[in-house]
Amino acid sequence: MADTVTISEPRSLAVATIMARKGVNEAAIEAAVRLAAPSQVGRSAPPALALIATGPGVWLALTDEPGEAWPDPLEAQLGDLAAVSDQSGSYLVWRIAGPGAGALLQKGVAIDLHPDAFGTGASAVTVIAHMGVILWRPEGAEGFEVAAFRSYARDFEHWLRAQAL
Amino acid sequence: MSRLAQGGLIDRNAPLTFRFDGRTMPGFAGDTLASALVANGVGLVGRSFKYHRPRGILTAGSEEPNALVTLRAGAKAEPNTRATTAQLFDGLEATSQNRWPSLNLDLLSVNQLAAPLLAAGFYYKTFMWPAAFWERVYEPIIRRAAGLGALSGLPDPDVYDRDHAFCDLLVIGAGPAGLAAALTAGRAGLRVVIADEDWLPGGRLLSDRRLINEAPGHIWAKAAADELASLANVRWLTRTSVFGVYDGREYGAVERLTDHLPNTPARQPRQRLWKIVAKHALLATGAIERPLVFGGNDRPGVMTASAVSTYLNRFAAAPGRRAVVFTTSDSGWDTADDLIEAGVELAAIVDARDAPMNAREPRIRAAGVRILTGAVVADAQGRQLKSVDVRDRDGRSLSIACDLLAVSGGWSPTIGLASHLGARPVWSETIASFVIHQPPPGMTAIGAAAGRFSLAKALADGASEAARIASELGRTATPASPMHAYDEPVAVRPLWHVGAHKTKAFVDFQNDVTDTDVALAAGEGFTSVEHLKRYTTLGMATDQGKTSQLNGLALLAKATGKPIDQAGTILARPPHAPVAIGVLAGHHRDEHFRPARRTPSHDWAVENGASFVDAGQWKRAQWFARPGERDWLETVNREVNAVRAGVGVCDVSTLGKIDVHGPDAATLLDRLYANQISTLAVGKVRYGLMLREDGLVMDDGTVSRLSETRFFVTTTTVNAAKVMQHIDFARQVLWPALDVQACSVTEQWATFAVAGPKSRVLLQNLTPDLDLTNEALPFMGVVQHRWRGVRMRIFRVSFCGELAYEVSVPATLGDGLVRAVFEAGADLGVTAYGTEALGVMRVEKGHPAGAELNGQTTAGDLGLGGLLSRKKDYIGRVLAGRPGLTDPDRPTLVGLRPVAQGARIRAGAHLLPLGAQPAAANDQGYVTSAAYSPTLGRGIALALLQRGPARHGERIIVHDPVRAGDVEAEVCAPVFVDPQGGRARG
Repeated sequence: MADTVTISEPRSLAVATIMARKGVNEAAIEAAVRLAAPSQVGRSAPPALALIATGPGVWLALTDEPGEAWPDPLEAQLGDLAAVSDQSGSYLVWRIAGPGAGALLQKGVAIDLHPDAFGTGASAVTVIAHMGVILWRPEGAEGFEVAAFRSYARDFEHWLRAQAL
Repeated sequence: MSRLAQGGLIDRNAPLTFRFDGRTMPGFAGDTLASALVANGVGLVGRSFKYHRPRGILTAGSEEPNALVTLRAGAKAEPNTRATTAQLFDGLEATSQNRWPSLNLDLLSVNQLAAPLLAAGFYYKTFMWPAAFWERVYEPIIRRAAGLGALSGLPDPDVYDRDHAFCDLLVIGAGPAGLAAALTAGRAGLRVVIADEDWLPGGRLLSDRRLINEAPGHIWAKAAADELASLANVRWLTRTSVFGVYDGREYGAVERLTDHLPNTPARQPRQRLWKIVAKHALLATGAIERPLVFGGNDRPGVMTASAVSTYLNRFAAAPGRRAVVFTTSDSGWDTADDLIEAGVELAAIVDARDAPMNAREPRIRAAGVRILTGAVVADAQGRQLKSVDVRDRDGRSLSIACDLLAVSGGWSPTIGLASHLGARPVWSETIASFVIHQPPPGMTAIGAAAGRFSLAKALADGASEAARIASELGRTATPASPMHAYDEPVAVRPLWHVGAHKTKAFVDFQNDVTDTDVALAAGEGFTSVEHLKRYTTLGMATDQGKTSQLNGLALLAKATGKPIDQAGTILARPPHAPVAIGVLAGHHRDEHFRPARRTPSHDWAVENGASFVDAGQWKRAQWFARPGERDWLETVNREVNAVRAGVGVCDVSTLGKIDVHGPDAATLLDRLYANQISTLAVGKVRYGLMLREDGLVMDDGTVSRLSETRFFVTTTTVNAAKVMQHIDFARQVLWPALDVQACSVTEQWATFAVAGPKSRVLLQNLTPDLDLTNEALPFMGVVQHRWRGVRMRIFRVSFCGELAYEVSVPATLGDGLVRAVFEAGADLGVTAYGTEALGVMRVEKGHPAGAELNGQTTAGDLGLGGLLSRKKDYIGRVLAGRPGLTDPDRPTLVGLRPVAQGARIRAGAHLLPLGAQPAAANDQGYVTSAAYSPTLGRGIALALLQRGPARHGERIIVHDPVRAGDVEAEVCAPVFVDPQGGRARG
């Protein structure tokens, strides 16, 4: 591949699924976590908490500064507004950056990753090589982030490396 | 040598050598294998499929039916490669196929003598009796005699890639129409993908001498391609065949990356599979010239006129020394002109039309060429063509010596792709062929593919259609720079058959179907085109009848007395051109055939000698063999005994886990499970049974209540995704008003069963500050705890029937937990056990699992009828009450013990009353699970037996005709160990 790609070591972050209770809108969630609950991807001021929209009223919250007893503080913030499930054990997150990052991922992703179609802040729940992934372009950083189930880590890593040859 | 002294798009400064059937020959860069063979005067290239007739090269493109060879050797052998599309490289090695012992002397060509027997439907008629002979005797012989190239039988050494492309416009074909379209769209800023199967741009422009802007067309094509390559919004895919059109404007294509290189660079993919999603597509695939049907039309030396032009103009290779052109169209005259220009002696033009008017006629006549109008070639003579028998307009026969016959039966637009989604081709009288009127959504045919054959029309068509698409997408297409070309005559008057002829006249060359086969099929009543196709195999070869379909259809129309547009049409199917299976598999081969999921303790299990078994995508430890153990049974027995007597540990993280939260969570779970859940106290666990809507059992598992509004549900490993889907369906579709949230947390928790009489002691060592007494954590209770800074949950549940716990921590700490557990249990002799021991213990305890939860059993069948709640409604309740499911005669869960101590029962065996004939009428049930119980020292089994619970103590026959034979067994209760269940509560 002519364009270089950097594939990070997978990171284990503090992760949680936020599912809004019946009738609770995005604005209420936003207010509670003091962060724009985006239709796609958002990132708060420090302590950096990223919210990735994964479905109607559903977000994946990620942070590498979880503090004590994650996700208790997040649950406390949301109170009766949303259900929170810890997913820190579920996902590993890869950062794929460099001029060839999009082309590499496009080999596995059957949705359009062209910047016009999948720009900064975009997210998608999709599949790469029969492995479910959550994929987004983070705000304020170049490249893509991909969350895949921990049980697939070895095979997902193998797929990534095979494409990067 | 038949190489012309000058001309052609070959690189005379780059000489190459190659081998065909062991003979070394020269060629040039820019040749195809076919053109290099032509340049070396090789006429005989293969043997035909059925009659083993000598065959040469018919075409110069991907429609080639005859010149199929095996390229390369050993594991890299590529059988059935079309010599006409294989780009020549230095050291290329090719061998002919379907001949024995050699191409020149093929003993199986005696099939020709038996030809009267091998007519259409021969196999159906001849090999009918005895029926048993078909599979064992006839078919293998037929397959050996009639076939194409053979696979190497070795693993494919190549790697294959895949990719996805998204565009506003996909242009299929880089001939004049396609290039004009891509240029227009590319300049307008559209995202364009242009795919072409050749390695040079230009399509037909490479093969003829037509001019664009007063220069040879291939020069214009090169300039257009260079401009396209410079545009960032255009992706140019060379050596790429679009092979299929699918719903949602999706297209499949294969890009050949290294097939033209002598050696594949290490790890470089050989081919790439593309999935292309295109808002619009232009079908610029051109047209294919049809052969004519006359005697001996398959002899080496007979070639389509357009192919002759291609070999002369593009490859500077003369396919013969003395030629005759037999044509029904104006384009045949172009080839005549090309032959004269190349200095090949042209003996005659035979035009079936009475008075063809052609601008080229004076020049050709001036060259001294005999022009016969209203005449036909009735037969071609010679093993390699030596002469043709012409019947002139007055019916007189004359023989003309020649070694090349260029035939032109008119052109058929290449519209196979357009009919992939079911669009019927429509007959066009003007061009005497089929065109497409209602192509798939987003697709438009242009240029020759639309039946507009002249160069001027092709260029104009491409530019205007691309401009239309650009404006539809809100872009402005700047007028393309002028493309001036001659609007040459393209008239044709079809001649479907020459009339009387003496030798075999072929319609489908690749499948050896003749004109008489078509007539015979029609005569025997196969008058539907679909029946004709299957009866004669016309058009069913790897070329999908690209050169034969229309000729066959026309002969069928003639035989049935119908006009051609009422004879029916055949739809093409993907793949448009053959595709290697390897490229479809891509990354997914060998151990990566499908992704594997590894449990949190995987590395630990590997270190401890685990053998793994696939459970869905999961790799689960099956057992942990120790040095000195003779077989797996010894290992498993040791593991079971260790659990029953001490303490064992098993990774059960693969069980499905679902968080169900919200004010209405209890309500939803009451509706999902057959038993009551809402009454479950906080801190308690309950067994839960889920039915499908049809009343049969769907899955089972446990439900834990962590707070008033928070439940934690487990499922079986295999049904994890299905149950998650079921819950989402229930809360989103069935009862959207309920305020309940659910998500899968299967991956979140690493869970280990810690089981056996010493399990409490072990856990107490692990968590000294936790109260694990029976009072604090009774059977079917759950406690939450913090361990190494994270949440830990301990569930007091037991699958094996002993005192047991399931301990969960986030998967991040799974590996740490299993190691900590083994440290905590080192003094207790803690033993790792796998799924096999787990399975043995659950059979000993009579717990239904996968073999019993098989989608055919009711709660009653499994002895769980008592769980069905009468106090509430739930999914499956009504249909669980239908007579068929409440029939007391239904096979119901029992245990079986072989009467003879050492006898073994196998799962799948059927149950018969003592003394009954082994017949289906006497079948009373079957064995679902069987195991050797080390606890009891004998074989045991679970089975579904008619009125089973009432028959405890009865003896029956376990009938197993395909394996161990019959075993006499005693029916018993399905719980073999600790029937009172006291151990789990201890």
